[in-house]
Amino acid sequence: MSSDVRFTDFKSDKQPTWCPGCGDFGTMNGMMKALAETGNDPDNTFVVAGIGCSGKIGTYMHSYALHGVHGRALPVGTGVKMARPDIEVMVAGGDGDGYSIGAGHFVHAVRRNVDMTYCVMDNRIYGLTKGQASPTSRSDFETSTTPEGPKQPPVNPLALALASGASFIAQSFSSDALRHQEIVQKAVEHDGFGFVNVFSPCVTFNDVDTYDYFRDNLVDLKEEDHDPTNYEAAKQVILDSNKEYQGVMYQDEDSVPYHEQHGVTEDMSEIPDGAPDDAMDLVREFY
Amino acid sequence: MAEDLNWAVGGEAGDGIDSTGKIFAQALSRAGRHVFTSKDFASRIRGGYTAYKIRTSVDRVQSVVDRLDILVALTQRTIDENLDELHEDSAIIYDGERSWEAEIPEEMNAVDVPLKSLAEDAGGAIMRNIVALGAACEITGFDVEYLDEALEKRFGGKGSKIVENNKEAARAGQEYVQEHYDLDHLGYDLETTDNDYVLLNGNEAVGMGALAAGCRFYAGYPITPATSIMEYLTGRIEEYGGHVVQAEDELSAINMALGGARAGARSMTATSGAGIDLMTETFGLVATSETPLVIADVQRSGPSTGMPTKQEQGDLNMALYGGHGEVPRFVVAPTSIDECFWKTIEAFNLAEKYQTPVFLVSDLAMSVTEQTFAPETFDMDAVEIDRGKLVDDDSVDEWLDEQGRFRAHAVTDDGVSPRAIPGTIDGAHMSTGLEHDELGRRTEDQDERVQQVDKRNRKVETAKETESWDYREFGDEDADNLIISWGSNEGALAEALEYLEDDGIDVRVISVPYIFPRPDLSDEIDAADETIVVECNATGQFADLLEHDTLTRLKRINKYTGVRFKADELAEQITEKLSEEVPAQ
Ligand SMILES: Cc1ncc(C[n+]2csc(CCOP(=O)(O)OP(=O)(O)O)c2C)c(N)n1
Ligand code: SF4
Repeated sequence: MSSDVRFTDFKSDKQPTWCPGCGDFGTMNGMMKALAETGNDPDNTFVVAGIGCSGKIGTYMHSYALHGVHGRALPVGTGVKMARPDIEVMVAGGDGDGYSIGAGHFVHAVRRNVDMTYCVMDNRIYGLTKGQASPTSRSDFETSTTPEGPKQPPVNPLALALASGASFIAQSFSSDALRHQEIVQKAVEHDGFGFVNVFSPCVTFNDVDTYDYFRDNLVDLKEEDHDPTNYEAAKQVILDSNKEYQGVMYQDEDSVPYHEQHGVTEDMSEIPDGAPDDAMDLVREFY
Repeated sequence: MAEDLNWAVGGEAGDGIDSTGKIFAQALSRAGRHVFTSKDFASRIRGGYTAYKIRTSVDRVQSVVDRLDILVALTQRTIDENLDELHEDSAIIYDGERSWEAEIPEEMNAVDVPLKSLAEDAGGAIMRNIVALGAACEITGFDVEYLDEALEKRFGGKGSKIVENNKEAARAGQEYVQEHYDLDHLGYDLETTDNDYVLLNGNEAVGMGALAAGCRFYAGYPITPATSIMEYLTGRIEEYGGHVVQAEDELSAINMALGGARAGARSMTATSGAGIDLMTETFGLVATSETPLVIADVQRSGPSTGMPTKQEQGDLNMALYGGHGEVPRFVVAPTSIDECFWKTIEAFNLAEKYQTPVFLVSDLAMSVTEQTFAPETFDMDAVEIDRGKLVDDDSVDEWLDEQGRFRAHAVTDDGVSPRAIPGTIDGAHMSTGLEHDELGRRTEDQDERVQQVDKRNRKVETAKETESWDYREFGDEDADNLIISWGSNEGALAEALEYLEDDGIDVRVISVPYIFPRPDLSDEIDAADETIVVECNATGQFADLLEHDTLTRLKRINKYTGVRFKADELAEQITEKLSEEVPAQ
């Protein structure tokens, strides 16, 4: 890993087609900076993206990358990491992608504790399909498919992660650039599944969860003397429905990632030219 | 045909039917006899009729027939279910001390053995099936020492005491029959040979092929009858530095396997029925992102949850056409257990050479059937690995554009692009299920769209020209009657030939292991007076394809009872079909 990697090396020459002012710009910059700061370079990094405005991130970054189908980015990331423990894996998607169609995969990637970073660009709306309710939309949030609001409580992704046995849970705000980068960096450095719910405002379809709203309401755990290694304290801030926090809520410092638990250490891409030397043993087993 | 013995054990699920059958099959195989097994099981864990059947001969056997010579019946239902196949000289081993009153037709040999009490004397009622095996040995004059070897293999891990008890149980059964019955081995004299055979089923052969081919990553979700591929690989793939993940569902399984493949590992997933439906969404992604992936579909009876433990070959259309849009893919369908091994290896090579999804389509009958083979059938020295256009740090250069960007989806004459796996310096690129340009970036440009679609389809054209999409044939090459089949029906057909020959009917049989691309059979069909396509489904999906290829109406034999073809039954149906006038439809 070359030390002279700069975050711009992770930028592709494709111009983003996100709406001007979209939160995803900031989210992506923070991710690229975090990758560069942690000593990664595009040739040893794999970015997996879901479907949605958020999912376009794979196109705008430069690295090995796959832009998959809606909701299935986490399994792809899991496959990459298992086959190649030597590769840095970053997964990104939207709140619809991750907590709706991909909710099942989210729970299981969390509990497997696969060593990768998962940034969910949470704008509390479906952006790409032009403004329908998402699982994190407020219950009274009016959209084209929920004219009177979804009338159901939003998913609390942090609590979902906690309940699934997460080893790292954090939340950041894309426009608080330094803090966002710092948090993602911690997730990258974490040995295990580094989950970051990123508030990434949609300026086109969401006029409630705006930059101003987050700026005025987010409480930074840095200023709260929060100890992320304290599970009880983490539970409290995660389940606190009166406030929204940014920062690392929880980190299990003894976390052992899935591949290590399963003794997977080798680069699986290398195989012999023919059958393995002792392959006849496989046949003899059937005597 | 006293040498050809058909044996079965039947009872309720949970009675240990499977392991009993397996032990006997292994004993016969140790004795150098050929074995072909079939299983009849209901979709229940406890209760429900289950049977394990063995056909054994010194000659190669590759099918079941409508005849049962010796039946170990743990329940009355076992007798009732098999009445059709039992005959005058059949022997039925049962336990008269048990609560059920065995109703056994008079002409048959009723062999009442106190299985349970003899087992208890030997150390535990659980061994009553082993007592029955000992009895079966005595009835057929088969040396019980071969059973010992199989018992050692089976129970060796549990300690010598258990092995000894089981051997004792077998002796008890043998001696009981010796003392109480005068059957004179029912005329059997089970010949043994010095041949060393291995005994394995289709799913084991697929798993073994995967390991031989260098498969390192497998993700799957349990479903009958595909699960045993995952079970085989688990515990073995680790020896080679690989890993199996039991995913949360099939959507995840195929996407994990896709991730593993993109990371450069030979990767695979396998499923059946509903699982294949769930995976369909990702087929297109595998194809457009040009990822080498092997997807095995072990077919069972559908639609919906259908009959999950029963045979069918009903997913052919799905394998060919499943998924939205037009997706280039290969569909390979092994026709025998040894082919399960070789075609799996071929599937991995095709996947990497052409960077496409390869469907390995097998079926329930083949997946659970065990058959004996000479070990050389699986000659590991003959395994070839072709990783296709994989570039490294040096060769990546020739595929960079003026700005130094890797052209992962470069438009080439053969349709195949270079492949760089993560870690290759300067190979970083993105791939997507969206239509993309040579660099993998989204495009809706009309020319680029057409170029990429043509390029992907060109892979199939290239493969059609360079690979051999052959078929196997047997019977009389010059016969007027042609039978065509795919999948596991081959064995039954091969044996049906013998019955047909006896009746003076000559047929030529073609068994096709490639569904797409597939061999052009126009000349063969033209040359024949009559062509019949045999398959285990109701509508004749393969026959449809051949009709489409040759613009000829073909006769069909379709079986969709959930039970595989039997050799003698098939011979009868072929005879009937040949005398029919115009093909139906
Ligand atoms: C299987 C499937 N269903 C539906 C869609 C259509 N679709 C595309 S993006 C999207 C929602 C995206 O919302 P979110 O994940 O919140 O991302 P955002 O666009 O807001 O960043 C949907 C429903 C699809 N592509 N695939
Ligand atoms: S629609 Fe919303 S989420 Fe999508 S690009 Fe525009 S601002 Fe961003």
